[in-house]
Amino acid sequence: MARSYDVIVIGGGHNGLVNAAYLARAGKRVLVAERRERVGGAAVSEQVFPGFTFSMFSYVVSLLRPEIIRDLELPRHGLQILPLESTITPLANGDYLGSWGDHDKNRRELYRHSPRDAEAYDEFGRLMHHMAMAVRPLLATIPPDPLSLDPRELLAMAKLGAQVTGLGEARIHSLFKLMTMSAADFLDEWFEFEPLKATKSASGIIGTFLGPRSPGTAYVLLHHYMGELDGAFRAWGFAKGGTGAVSEAVAGAARRHGAEIRTSAGVARVLVKDGRAGGVVLDSGEEIRAKVVVSGLDPRRTFLELVEPRELPDDLVTAVRRFKFRGSSGKVNLALGELPDFTCLPGVGPHLRGAISISPDLDYLERAYDEAKYGRFSSRPYMDIVIPSMIDPGMAPPGKHVMSIFVQYAPYDIEGGWTDAKREAFGDAVIDTVSCYSPNLKRAILHRQVLTPADIERITGLSEGNIFQGELTPHQLFFFRPSPRWSGYRTPVRGYYQCGSGTHPGGGIMGASGRLAALRILDDRAT
Amino acid sequence: MPTAAYDVVILGSEPSALTAAAYLAKAGRRVLLLERREDLGGAVVTEELLAGCRVDAVFDDIGWLPRSIVSELELRRHGLELVQLDPMVTAPAKHGGHLALWRQLGRTQDSIRALSTRDAERWPDFATGMAKHAALLESLYEAPAPRPGAGGMPTSDDLRGLLRLGRRAGLRGRADLLELARVVPMSIAELLDDWFESDTLKGALAGGAIGGLMQGPRSGGTAFLFLHRHVGGESGAVRARQTARGGAGRLADALAAAAREAGAEIRCGACVDRVRVQGGRATGVVLGNGDEIAARAVLSGKDPRTTMLDLVEPLHLDPDAARAARQIRFRGPMARVHLAVDELPRFRGIGGDGLLGGSVVIAPSLDHLERAYDDAKYGRVSERPYLEIAIPTFADPSRAPAATHIVSVTMQYAPYTLREGEWTPERRSALGDLVVGALAEYAPALRETVIERCVLTPRDLEQRYGLREGSPDQGEMMLDQILFMRPMPGWSRHATPIHGLWLCGSGTHPGGRIAGVSGRLAAREILRAKH
Repeated sequence: MARSYDVIVIGGGHNGLVNAAYLARAGKRVLVAERRERVGGAAVSEQVFPGFTFSMFSYVVSLLRPEIIRDLELPRHGLQILPLESTITPLANGDYLGSWGDHDKNRRELYRHSPRDAEAYDEFGRLMHHMAMAVRPLLATIPPDPLSLDPRELLAMAKLGAQVTGLGEARIHSLFKLMTMSAADFLDEWFEFEPLKATKSASGIIGTFLGPRSPGTAYVLLHHYMGELDGAFRAWGFAKGGTGAVSEAVAGAARRHGAEIRTSAGVARVLVKDGRAGGVVLDSGEEIRAKVVVSGLDPRRTFLELVEPRELPDDLVTAVRRFKFRGSSGKVNLALGELPDFTCLPGVGPHLRGAISISPDLDYLERAYDEAKYGRFSSRPYMDIVIPSMIDPGMAPPGKHVMSIFVQYAPYDIEGGWTDAKREAFGDAVIDTVSCYSPNLKRAILHRQVLTPADIERITGLSEGNIFQGELTPHQLFFFRPSPRWSGYRTPVRGYYQCGSGTHPGGGIMGASGRLAALRILDDRAT
Repeated sequence: MPTAAYDVVILGSEPSALTAAAYLAKAGRRVLLLERREDLGGAVVTEELLAGCRVDAVFDDIGWLPRSIVSELELRRHGLELVQLDPMVTAPAKHGGHLALWRQLGRTQDSIRALSTRDAERWPDFATGMAKHAALLESLYEAPAPRPGAGGMPTSDDLRGLLRLGRRAGLRGRADLLELARVVPMSIAELLDDWFESDTLKGALAGGAIGGLMQGPRSGGTAFLFLHRHVGGESGAVRARQTARGGAGRLADALAAAAREAGAEIRCGACVDRVRVQGGRATGVVLGNGDEIAARAVLSGKDPRTTMLDLVEPLHLDPDAARAARQIRFRGPMARVHLAVDELPRFRGIGGDGLLGGSVVIAPSLDHLERAYDDAKYGRVSERPYLEIAIPTFADPSRAPAATHIVSVTMQYAPYTLREGEWTPERRSALGDLVVGALAEYAPALRETVIERCVLTPRDLEQRYGLREGSPDQGEMMLDQILFMRPMPGWSRHATPIHGLWLCGSGTHPGGRIAGVSGRLAAREILRAKH
């Protein structure tokens, strides 16, 4: 006889696993069904080439919620974060802009380029810190239903209103600016040095299909400031063993609490009867029953593929259809026989233990975007490069290295569609561009893996290859993620919930969606 | 304090300044309005830029003018005759034919049907949906801007505004507000892609979302500008426009007449050099010729940056306020080209039926507009610009000599700040050639019919009409510069950090192309304040 569960979680991405772990911890019988042969979704470490392990997609950790690390005791399950302390931006003139963990060193470096910016930098940091602090409670808040007349929802709305009002006028204005401005305009108010503005604004364009001068990009700047690591704001790091180690740790915690995890178990659809979820049907045809089904997949799959749209109200179907994915990023993973030598900082140095940002000025980023707007990949893209093996030698054979290059823009809807030839041309453009700054790179490459948005979609299932399960633009946040009325993790189908990045707060290896969805399910006494 | 001759001195004569003068004078205040030029209206002016022609210098229309102002100030009696343009927009399609947006839903649908039956089906829902959003904005605009987090007691205006919003929104109010909040940060391209498939339709509509803005149709927040420009339009009339018979400048004449009748004094050719500030409060103005005029309050209809930074000596302004004023973004993106021609332009694809009565737009697709913006983004004039063409003589031949037509073109993008060089006479002339050339692609015979031409670059718009950096809205109409953020965060209620110095005009809430409202709101605040 088939076993029956309290909860089936569809998709073993990090949010699905967090969700499962919290529910199992609360005593529920939980099954995670993952389509691939391994858990992690886009947070996976894979040995793509013998001896070389890559964080294949997502590659840095910063937004993982500290309460999740604590509640699930993730360090006990093997999670270890190695700090990523610096960012350097090579410049066209052979110089560089460095951003270092050490405050005084950082200030001296900025002073070298612009005394004015060095002066402004601390005040800017303070403002962003306050803004991040102001927004942070929202990361642990289930969005209330703004249209409900239920007293509990009304109370939650009132509480939210009081929270915002409590910020005071000046901070409300700053917050409003962050929510509405372009990253470029916002930074223009503070700084003058182009490489600084470009490098900072780059965080505003990641995962969206907008250029840094488009309004709506300043907010993500804040998103990236919210990274908390062991309580330290703004620090970024690697998980030892790659980002897959985060997923493994969460999976370990889930299992310890009794959750069952089945891989190679893709879910074909959710069983719905009389407006109520009752289990799932696997691709193999196997039926598994449960009182609650949680989808960790993106909203398009959750609402349009796993259930019949006719089970849903029309306005939700419309809202999900117009939810914007528009994957815009790609990834190039390199196995290197030797370290890259950057012209701006020759030799091996601490800069190779940090990020290298190819973002020399705002026009550069805009030009990269222009090409993507008209359906081409950027011939001179924005790139965020890290060499994890510098910090975690186990990622590559002795003396060899792995390099991870996050690339934007690579539009999902490329003219004529993605082909093998286009993928390789895209890879060549990436390598050519990095080679401008690091001439020995081509020689150092032993193997390369190029991932286009189409590949990301094919492998991870993320619609249109969008790394956040839907763009993080102001009209797709909070109440609107993925749709008003259904931003609180419930769905119109009773017993069917959502817990992916496509729900609030979404994006990055944060786990907050998975956790909040679990709290919602427990609170609903749905099982 | 010595007794001042005036209660309020008003700087500039843009429609809101004139409106404020009228309301203040009606309330019994002694009002003096000073205008630098000989014509009233600021940038909303009709003048003889071409021999014998009455040309709408900057704006072809008057924007939104609330009915309540028309009736309260009895503008009809003072000579204002409003004209609703119909069709509102005509767009020649790339491959022959045209699209026309009429006030009548069905007529517009018929026109769209030639491009796409699917789009024609969707038009009524789109038009009513947008009208609903615009109506909500309208109720926000008629009241003072909300002040989240400011504390303090709401004024009667606040409460009236809330009531009006509540009434307008009705029972489904929250849902409508939420939907409005979802739509405004979007790009117009995203919004239109959700509704329509026809490039011609999307291009023609998107023009209304980027006019006056240094952003392209794929930039976030352009959906807001689209709705802003829709405010006051009747339901279903997307991109509706109204003007005054005789030209947009006739609005200023009617407002001035109302103000004068109520007792306001209006002086032209009076250049204000600075606002006199004593003991932290404004006490009058100093004219260019050295004359001083004492007043208990000063209301500036000039843009907020000019007022705060150029008219007030820096020592009177605290650094935070000065910084906020410096940070207001203007970035004018448009130029005007006026042509006198000796025959009515013949556009390919546009036949009779009075189709030239509205604006003819050259915006064949979203990509066309986006590419035009690409040039401007890097500080260049668009090689293939977006054009909006008005032919005022089509409806009113009396505005030009016999057998002459006026063709007024708004061209975008012509950035105020060029990456290389300045706006020289050569560049001005090259801009004129570029626009005539772009027009000729759609109206091939036009080039030979030009009798005279007048080109206004963004620099000219600034110098002649006082539009800072050529911004037609006295500051970009973007989400971070509206409501309680306009003109500067925290100073949305027409007051300034300097006691007795007030602001009205497009640079203040509720923003550009809305005639009179900021003047009426400012007048109320001034009347409420103790002097």
